[in-house]
Amino acid sequence: MQTAIKQNSFKDKANQAFGISIEDARISKSYLSVAFIALLLGGLLGLLQGLNRAGVLTLPSWANYYQILTAHGLLLVVVLSAFFTIGYFYAGLSHTLGGLLPKVRKMAWIGFWMKIFGFVLVVIPVLMNEASVMYTFYPPMAAHPVFYFGLVFIVLGIWMLSAGAFTQVANWRKNHKGEHLPILSFFATGVFVLLVGATAFVAVEVIFMIIPWTLGWVDGINVMLSRTLFWAFGHTAVNIWYLTAVSAWYVVIPKVIGGNRWNDHLTRMVVIPLVIMNITGGFHHQIVDPGISEGIKYMHVFMSLAIGFPSLMTAYAMFRVFERTARRKGGKGLLGWFKKMPWGDVRFLAPFIAMAAFIPAGAGGIVQSTNQLDQVVHNTMWVVGHFHLTLGMSVVMTFFGISYWLVPYLSKRVLTPAMNKLGVIQTVIWTLGMVIMAISMHIVGLFGSPRRTSFTTYGDFAETLGWNPYMAAVGIGATLLLIAVILQVYAVFNLMFFAPKGVTEFPIADTEPGEAKTPYWTERWGIWVVLMILVISMAYVIPIVDMIVNAPPGSPPFKTW
Amino acid sequence: MSQFISGLVLLIVLMIPPVARLMESVMIIHMHMQMPLLVIAGYFMARLFMDRFPSFFEKYNQNGLPGILLFTIIMVYWMLPRTMDEALTVQTVEAFKFISLPFLAGVPLRDSWKKLSKVGRNNLITLFTVMFLGFGWLYIQSNSQLCNNYLVIDQIILGWGFITMAISMVIYLVYSLIVDPSKYE
Repeated sequence: MQTAIKQNSFKDKANQAFGISIEDARISKSYLSVAFIALLLGGLLGLLQGLNRAGVLTLPSWANYYQILTAHGLLLVVVLSAFFTIGYFYAGLSHTLGGLLPKVRKMAWIGFWMKIFGFVLVVIPVLMNEASVMYTFYPPMAAHPVFYFGLVFIVLGIWMLSAGAFTQVANWRKNHKGEHLPILSFFATGVFVLLVGATAFVAVEVIFMIIPWTLGWVDGINVMLSRTLFWAFGHTAVNIWYLTAVSAWYVVIPKVIGGNRWNDHLTRMVVIPLVIMNITGGFHHQIVDPGISEGIKYMHVFMSLAIGFPSLMTAYAMFRVFERTARRKGGKGLLGWFKKMPWGDVRFLAPFIAMAAFIPAGAGGIVQSTNQLDQVVHNTMWVVGHFHLTLGMSVVMTFFGISYWLVPYLSKRVLTPAMNKLGVIQTVIWTLGMVIMAISMHIVGLFGSPRRTSFTTYGDFAETLGWNPYMAAVGIGATLLLIAVILQVYAVFNLMFFAPKGVTEFPIADTEPGEAKTPYWTERWGIWVVLMILVISMAYVIPIVDMIVNAPPGSPPFKTW
Repeated sequence: MSQFISGLVLLIVLMIPPVARLMESVMIIHMHMQMPLLVIAGYFMARLFMDRFPSFFEKYNQNGLPGILLFTIIMVYWMLPRTMDEALTVQTVEAFKFISLPFLAGVPLRDSWKKLSKVGRNNLITLFTVMFLGFGWLYIQSNSQLCNNYLVIDQIILGWGFITMAISMVIYLVYSLIVDPSKYE
């Protein structure tokens, strides 16, 4: 035992001194490459949609607006986010837990190829216009069965990767008895627990409901139940990326600005409730769905807003860290310390704007989870504006910020001042594009413009013609965004293959000196998982049993495009 | 003292008529949310009683078993359809619910729990798992209305609530059986 500990701490030290091993780096680099290629393709499709809705581009006859919308959603929501999250956390596990175990590496590769295989299966019917069901694939819209087989493989890949992460963590803990899991791996554990929990729901939906139905083995599908299962997954998926971004805010950003991170105990206390209470939040996506009684919706608003609490803790923690660090550097005055922040450093600038964007994004989210307010904006462009703020800014801009140190760290290269400058320019263009696009989407949504609709003038109806200037602004935003996408993808591949060789640090901030010791019970993941299951079963048993027992006959499949 | 106050505040909030009415309007929320919250309120308040009257607990609950027995009896009593019905129709029974669950279940649970060995705790959880499966079966398969105040669909939902709770407890038991914390701590 003693020797195992010694060997391990030797490996830890070697890891710190020489950087990531080549094999571990290859895993993360592969994930990040896929993520950024998906960004390029997804961004291109986004531009096509933006220009179409602006009324300046008519799609060719072989391309369908909904087909492009489906691909845009899948590439950015499923591929970019998931592949980035996994690549980032596997690098984090490797760095903080003394290198990946050989079997974990093998699991990571099996997971990778399962996901890629699944994704190819998904893409083929989408390209053939056999699966223009958008990324939510709500029944009774039915895609080609191969689309759903692909989804199954993607989920299996995620389970494999989660198993790999848990194996790595369990092994580390066995060799480091009584120690706290390093904070980034703590976040990673939470994220992989949520990934398993969330995908379990969509797996049930796809395997037991949709596949038998699209293959014609059963006549009808319970639409309400499938939507409920989907959103238990969909909402959690969104929060997984958010939690990934939050991990960088807590752990990495303080180091980048030269400070200490926020209280370790409280940081872990943000992760734990986010894991326990997350999945049940999915209900607020169904807040105007029929078939769920108002009492249940009312109770679920509490569950949704409960997740807001750790988010508010995060907002406080971040600005506390910023202020403390800036004052140490000589910042003065009520707000004068703001000038002491490293605004010229893309590794800080991009995530900072991401955090700032979360303020309106979070407020918009509260609007949407409030029944009466949501009735005004439900299924309008407002919602599209909302998730372009949350995902397109809060999450993705943090990911961009991460890429400027993570990619050189993995490829053993450095971020040059020129590339940093490019990053700053990229951040500014992206911010401008997203702000123009999201604001006009929110406004035009309030006026009633529906989402998921190809360009139309509604027979030149005067009221709806008033939407067009805003949609033109969406087109302008989308154009700026594609420019930013190209710069970002260029930066990533330059840092991966062409930047000057050198050593880049994996920035992990230390806690404040003299901080009280974090209690050990925060490490009891078994208990948190059981609590999570308990909360989920309490939250879902009422509506799900009701939906099954009082189910309508069920719907046959429809191809609406 | 602060724990006592938070428990008391929770109890008072649960007793406010609109809150009580909302929670009692759905069968499963009545049994699986309001009642456990009352126990939790008592669990918090127990701190004060344990500090003030240590000799009482020492004398009557030396090894924790009497307390757990009392807790179990109170819990089982409130799992019966008849008692739920009476709580809604007879005012004194409703009052008894708000007294018995915090003070006769929550307080003894807290005093007894730390006196039990790990095996004792897991046996208690096993007992409740088996009971939950039994009650779940009872409420799911019953075609007739067991409570005057609740519909058959409410019963079925409650039954599945019992089953899902039991599954959660089984997962916990399996976890504590196969994972040895001394390997990690």
